[in-house]
Amino acid sequence: MLRRDVLGVLAMAPAIVAPAMAQGDDWAKVVEAGKKEGKLVIYTASIGSVFHKAVIKSFEQKYGITVEMLEARASEVRERVRVEQAAGRFLGDIHHNGSTTTWLMMRDGNFQPHGVVPNVKNIVPPYEADEIRIPCEVISYGLMVNRNLVKPGDEPKSWKDILDPRWTGKILSDDYRALGGGAVFFVVMHNTFGKEFLEKLATQKPVFSRDLQNSERRVARGEYPLYLPFSLQNYNNLKGLPVTPIVPAEGRPYVRFDLTVLKNAPHPNAARLFMNHYLEPDSQLVFANAGYNPVVGGVVEKTIPEIRSLLASKALGTTVPERQDAMLALAKEIFK
Amino acid sequence: MVTIVAPLGERKPLLSGLWRYSRGAGISALIALLCFLSLYPMIMLLYGSLHSTPPGIPGVFNLDGYLAIATTENLIVLANTVGISLVKTGLALVLAVLLAWIVARTDTPGRGILEVLITLPFFIPPILTATAWAMLGNAQVGTINLAWRWLTGGDGTLVDVYSYGGVIWHMMQYSTPFIFLFVVDAFRAMDPSLEESSRMSGATRWQTFWRITLALMLPVTTSAFLLSFIRGVESFESAVFFGTPVGIEVITTTIYHSITQRAQPDYQSATALSFAALALMFLLVLLQNRLLRGRSFTTVTGKGYSPNITRLGRLRWVTFALCIAFFMVSVALPIGQLLLSSFFKFFGFYQADMLTLDHYRNVWENSGFWRAFRNTLLLGFAGATATMALGGIVAYVTTRTRWRGRRLIDVLAWLPWMMPGMVLGIGFLWGFAILPHAIPIYGTLWALLLAYIALGTPVAVRVTSAAYQQIATDIEECSRVHGAGWWQTLGRILIALAWPAFAVGWVLIFFGIMRELSASILLYAPGTEVLSVVMLKLWVGGKPEEVSVIGLVMLILVLVFRWVQLRFIKKRISTL
Repeated sequence: MLRRDVLGVLAMAPAIVAPAMAQGDDWAKVVEAGKKEGKLVIYTASIGSVFHKAVIKSFEQKYGITVEMLEARASEVRERVRVEQAAGRFLGDIHHNGSTTTWLMMRDGNFQPHGVVPNVKNIVPPYEADEIRIPCEVISYGLMVNRNLVKPGDEPKSWKDILDPRWTGKILSDDYRALGGGAVFFVVMHNTFGKEFLEKLATQKPVFSRDLQNSERRVARGEYPLYLPFSLQNYNNLKGLPVTPIVPAEGRPYVRFDLTVLKNAPHPNAARLFMNHYLEPDSQLVFANAGYNPVVGGVVEKTIPEIRSLLASKALGTTVPERQDAMLALAKEIFK
Repeated sequence: MVTIVAPLGERKPLLSGLWRYSRGAGISALIALLCFLSLYPMIMLLYGSLHSTPPGIPGVFNLDGYLAIATTENLIVLANTVGISLVKTGLALVLAVLLAWIVARTDTPGRGILEVLITLPFFIPPILTATAWAMLGNAQVGTINLAWRWLTGGDGTLVDVYSYGGVIWHMMQYSTPFIFLFVVDAFRAMDPSLEESSRMSGATRWQTFWRITLALMLPVTTSAFLLSFIRGVESFESAVFFGTPVGIEVITTTIYHSITQRAQPDYQSATALSFAALALMFLLVLLQNRLLRGRSFTTVTGKGYSPNITRLGRLRWVTFALCIAFFMVSVALPIGQLLLSSFFKFFGFYQADMLTLDHYRNVWENSGFWRAFRNTLLLGFAGATATMALGGIVAYVTTRTRWRGRRLIDVLAWLPWMMPGMVLGIGFLWGFAILPHAIPIYGTLWALLLAYIALGTPVAVRVTSAAYQQIATDIEECSRVHGAGWWQTLGRILIALAWPAFAVGWVLIFFGIMRELSASILLYAPGTEVLSVVMLKLWVGGKPEEVSVIGLVMLILVLVFRWVQLRFIKKRISTL
């Protein structure tokens, strides 16, 4: 049923995307038309990120197109888009959100195909673009330990090490029963080690908190020795504190962020220009140095040394939107 | 010559036809405005609770949302919510009334400064005080527990904020100054002759306080209790910070989970749960009306009085110590922590090599902050002024007239207070977005302004109606006898006498606007950002220290406002 809906949206695409396709696939014409549009409105679930602003600034300088951003949490962005489109208000051009929310919105028909974007060809597996979605950066998850409380050599080296009794009651964690990094971690651990692993983890009595930024600070202050899942890009905000990020041997769970063009976007050509700019190696390097995994090849090698090995680790797996509700229910059952 | 004045609202002579017509038109306009501000978003939400999908998506009407909330789990959540709110409101009320009495009616030293200091916690964003208390009172490495262990030589834990006690304590930080602000001016406006009569009739100081002072304060204390209790039921930050990590869930955290923590936001359950909570709170409002019905609380009469104070003798140093203790625990500790942290690279890491002014510099150079600051000040001034004007009119109609429609007006003005902010924000979003495009509200500052007026009106009405109830009708009649019109009487008698309450209400609403996030995040558009949105961006972006700087800027604003306000009140009262 869901797949049929998605296919339906794709089938309608040529009709919906008429304004953008009218420019043809001649990129020079797209550039010209984008500059003429002069403005771009981005709806993003990435709140307060200085790295995104840096890339937006370089885009504005390169093309002379003014960018306006509407930042809100994932579900709030989704509801605004839904309500605006239902009311016939087409105000946004680009949508930037996690892959699960993007998938749900695609199912609801909130997007139009983006048309040809030259830099899409640079995207490397396991990331893949389609007519609607363009992967743009990846949040990768590891562990974080407090160096004052965990002696060198005692850190978990495998995800299985967190089941050691010495970590009982000492793990601060994002909640696995709610959408976010915790849920991604839960799904990937389930897929990798099975339900038994998670049941054993429940006996470790992890303490849940959804206030991610504060949780990391709590670990840094020594309230808990271990935090998981730790978003690697947050390491930038913690440099100078006694914490160490770790990607266990099996690899890193990850969640992809996608760019899409909103239905009836008022500035479709500027939107395509922006998507292309986002996939430029220089833009991707900004994100990579910040701790996000890039989606195009040849960037990780150029990152700053302290982050390079973390980003070069194996991608262990990610969440699947179709199974999200079932996995959240399972998490509630295991972690009561 | 003898002039007979008809009761208010029942004029008969000459212009009665015109008066009645204009009065009817005015009442209709008022009802229409309140319907738009409060009923309209509520209808959108009611639709959401009865429909399988949110507005704009095909679906069917059903009761699934209400059936889904009827679970044992939700009953526990409801009991938690009511229990926590009841305990915190009760404790806060006792403390606030005591502090207000000390400040307004005793000779405790330094009362002017104490009054400003006691109210400070109310104006700090809860997210900041929660962070400060998380550092002060966590069981493992909290400053208080470390000090305790150092003092006792043991390894025990004195406080743990991640508990029921922590949730209640953090909520009390806001409830106590909130109720205090309500009560303190009512104490000040009270004619002390009633208390003097009591003392002359042989009552002790305590009997007088209990039987006269507190009894006369019943409208204002019950109003404050209700507002604070309801706000406690709708409180989110305290529970999510200190309750959720240890399994304490309340209605708002449950609503939050159903909207933001599922793959598919469940608006039907969230709105149904909100309406169930609204029904509960509506019963409380009815209870308050029943409690106050048919009783007179007039303490400001036409006879003239001079507010006097109770001489406490040596006891005044005990009351002074009590105020200072409250200030130290609820203000100095968390705010000191914020101030200190704003000069270090990281919140809570006080090392010499981490000293910095970068956070101040970053905020200063943040153009988004200044744009939001301008927008927020504009919305704050316009919103607080418009809300108090609307609240003053609504309170007048509901407390001092017998006009038809006044009960409906009272209910309409109450509605927004009884709906959790995060849900009401969705109601505004749905409501404003589907308006005809020719009405330029959605995506403009108007959307925020109208939402703020709706959210603030219940406070404005309660503050002013409590003040109006203390003013005798004979003063108004006297004004009419001397030829003043309705508007003149409203402005020169009622508002003039109740204006300290107006000033308090204005400040409460102004800073409520500065802090409001739930509706703002859903209604702002590029260019119309407000401070709360900027603070959220900084917080989520891992910049709690810069949020502290903004919090401190807001505190300075509070100090300036309160100073100006108290100077005006003092001047005013001395000329009464």
